[in-house]
Amino acid sequence: MAVIGAFCVSVNREACVNARMPGKCATCAEVCPHGVYALDSTTGEMHVQNFNACVGCRICAEFCPADAIRINPAEPEYISRYPWTLAAVEEIHYKAQTGEYLLRGFGTTGPTPNFDLITVVPSQIASDPPLDKYREECDMEVVIGEDTCDKPIHLKAPFVWAAMSFGALSKEAKLALAIGAARAGIATNTGEGGLVPEEAWLSRGYTDEERTHKKWEPGGYLIIQWSTGRWGVSADYVNSGDAVEVKIGQGAKPGMGGHLLGAKVTEDVSRVRGVPVGSDALSPCRYYDVQSLEDMKHMVSFLRDVTDYQLPILFKLGPSRPYADVAACIEAGADAISIDGLVGGTGCSPDIVTQGVGIPTIACIPPAVQALKDYGVHRKVKLIALGGIRNGLDAFKAMAMGADAVGFGSAAEVAMGCRACYACQKGNCPYGITSQKPEMRARLDPIETGRRLANFIHACAEEVKILTMLSGHSRIADLSTEDLRAMDLNTAAITGLKMAGYDRPLPMWELAPQPVSSTSGKGGNGHKKLEMQAERQVTTGS
Amino acid sequence: MKTLDAKAQDLKAVNRHLKDLPDGQPVIVKNVSHLHGLAAGLKHGEVVVQGNAGDYLGVLNAGATIKVTRNAGKYVADNMTAGTVIIEGSAAYGAGQYCYGGTVVVRGDAGDFTATMNKGATIIVAGNIGREAGTYMLKGDLIVVGNAGDNFANYLIRGNVYIAGEWTRLGHNTRVEPLTDEDVSKLRALFEKYEIHAIPTEFKKIVAASEKPFYN
Repeated sequence: MAVIGAFCVSVNREACVNARMPGKCATCAEVCPHGVYALDSTTGEMHVQNFNACVGCRICAEFCPADAIRINPAEPEYISRYPWTLAAVEEIHYKAQTGEYLLRGFGTTGPTPNFDLITVVPSQIASDPPLDKYREECDMEVVIGEDTCDKPIHLKAPFVWAAMSFGALSKEAKLALAIGAARAGIATNTGEGGLVPEEAWLSRGYTDEERTHKKWEPGGYLIIQWSTGRWGVSADYVNSGDAVEVKIGQGAKPGMGGHLLGAKVTEDVSRVRGVPVGSDALSPCRYYDVQSLEDMKHMVSFLRDVTDYQLPILFKLGPSRPYADVAACIEAGADAISIDGLVGGTGCSPDIVTQGVGIPTIACIPPAVQALKDYGVHRKVKLIALGGIRNGLDAFKAMAMGADAVGFGSAAEVAMGCRACYACQKGNCPYGITSQKPEMRARLDPIETGRRLANFIHACAEEVKILTMLSGHSRIADLSTEDLRAMDLNTAAITGLKMAGYDRPLPMWELAPQPVSSTSGKGGNGHKKLEMQAERQVTTGS
Repeated sequence: MKTLDAKAQDLKAVNRHLKDLPDGQPVIVKNVSHLHGLAAGLKHGEVVVQGNAGDYLGVLNAGATIKVTRNAGKYVADNMTAGTVIIEGSAAYGAGQYCYGGTVVVRGDAGDFTATMNKGATIIVAGNIGREAGTYMLKGDLIVVGNAGDNFANYLIRGNVYIAGEWTRLGHNTRVEPLTDEDVSKLRALFEKYEIHAIPTEFKKIVAASEKPFYN
């Protein structure tokens, strides 16, 4: 859904300084990066010029000295006029006027199948008794690459920051994520836009390049992303982190590559990526240097070789055919696999792709887990669930469904101050998160924001701990689908979870398991064993 | 020159041997066509491959000189940032992709999607080149002495594409420009350095029509 015309801007003229004393205040017009307000230079009067341009970032309300501004979503119209809402009408007008389709940032809007209709099953008398969150221990550590490489990653909590590139994010936001990871003992990720040099030591908790002063305990990890655009990639780059992640796709635009519009390709971004200033950096949708699963295996081999067999190799998948795709990653030699669901975020994507392509996170996890079980590597090759994870409750549900950890992308941005205005692609983020403009970036202090990010992780870790222990477990690795129930038919049908009340999986899962559609034809899916595996039928695990 | 027979050896053993060589000491390796990713990420040294090479030869090369006496497999010199890779025979699909620097010389023919997303390397093909060569090139030079296939230099963004022969069809966002004196001098110096028989003034030069062809 478009963001045009999605908000109502209200100014209380009794409180507004400008309304009472024209010329004395024009703060809203000065801070709005989208031209909603206009100042009459002759009379000094401010007025709302363009309601439809408001993206709901609320920076005007934040800065208004008289607290006179309210930004309200135009929600009633979604009920009274749906599907011909103002946003839909304005989108058609925009296309008719320009001949262009909509691009936007962030993620899928509107209701999609999600974790909310899954409930957690606590322990009572019939199962193992609950454990005491306040006085007993819970093992929250997740190890990636334990048996396969010399330097496995030990996450202190089952979380990572999802990959977000320098370019899509400001340098300050990248540094905040690194500091947040160091303070929480988790991993940050370069994304595909190359390395911000400071990430390499800040993510480990050091304040200086020589690593003589460790300020942030316990120290975290840096995952180096290897992607289809290969921006800023060299032998030194792949050796500058603690793991290498091979990006195949992402939830917001599976089947397409990264989009960084020219407005965000500044001198600094240009230097890292090798694209001209102002030119759109559009990553290829696939690896030009991989044409088969055999090629992908060779790619993993040389990445292990270049990193001297020390670092874990991760894969990141978009939400397509989870069983077959996860099986392919296992065959290619992954130590961990991230799978990003439908509502996974982005800095920029065609609106229709973010809105209408890919399957929901809750539908990705069961087949992904089944593939890991069929290959005998569940809980060894780690599964990281991404896409719309907001808190410890979502994280717990993903892990009880079989994931080993979860990633926060959009939630991390929100923890940095984002108000979810869906306009990341414009480069005008007033909170300095997805903007490359100095005046916007100056509003984001990496150290303070890193503290906020670590706070968010600590709170979510406590939430996971509460839920794990009230379910009778002392280790997150012991969570299972028995700890969950689906609360409606659709969720039970999509996930294979037992349905609340009925207390068993729907008969379609028990009696006639659905085959997973195998892929065929070109690309990495032609491997014979993989196809045989993909033809297997899926059953629920518990 | 020291010779290493890689028959029955795996990638880890052979590449470790190459990494451990003292700076500047050249080595001949033979029976390597089963190795994909040979000489990956080397920062120095000289490796001469006797015979054919497998795929991903010299991937992430960061300064080494790599020579192949016969043919190279797919994706030779993939993502190279520095150094030189010279193929006496032909190169298969995707030679010199994603390179940030260095020089690739293919004395025979090169396959489809060669020099895709070149970001600063000099890539010379003395024979013919396949289709989609130079796709989304962002910097550097692609020089083709023979003919090119379909969609040549498609969505070129920056850098120069030179060709002496013909192309089947030129890609989007391209413009043919006359050679400058600097172009001729650059080509002459490269041809002399790498002993390529071609006449610089007979080349056509293709450049990008726009640096921003995708979104307004």
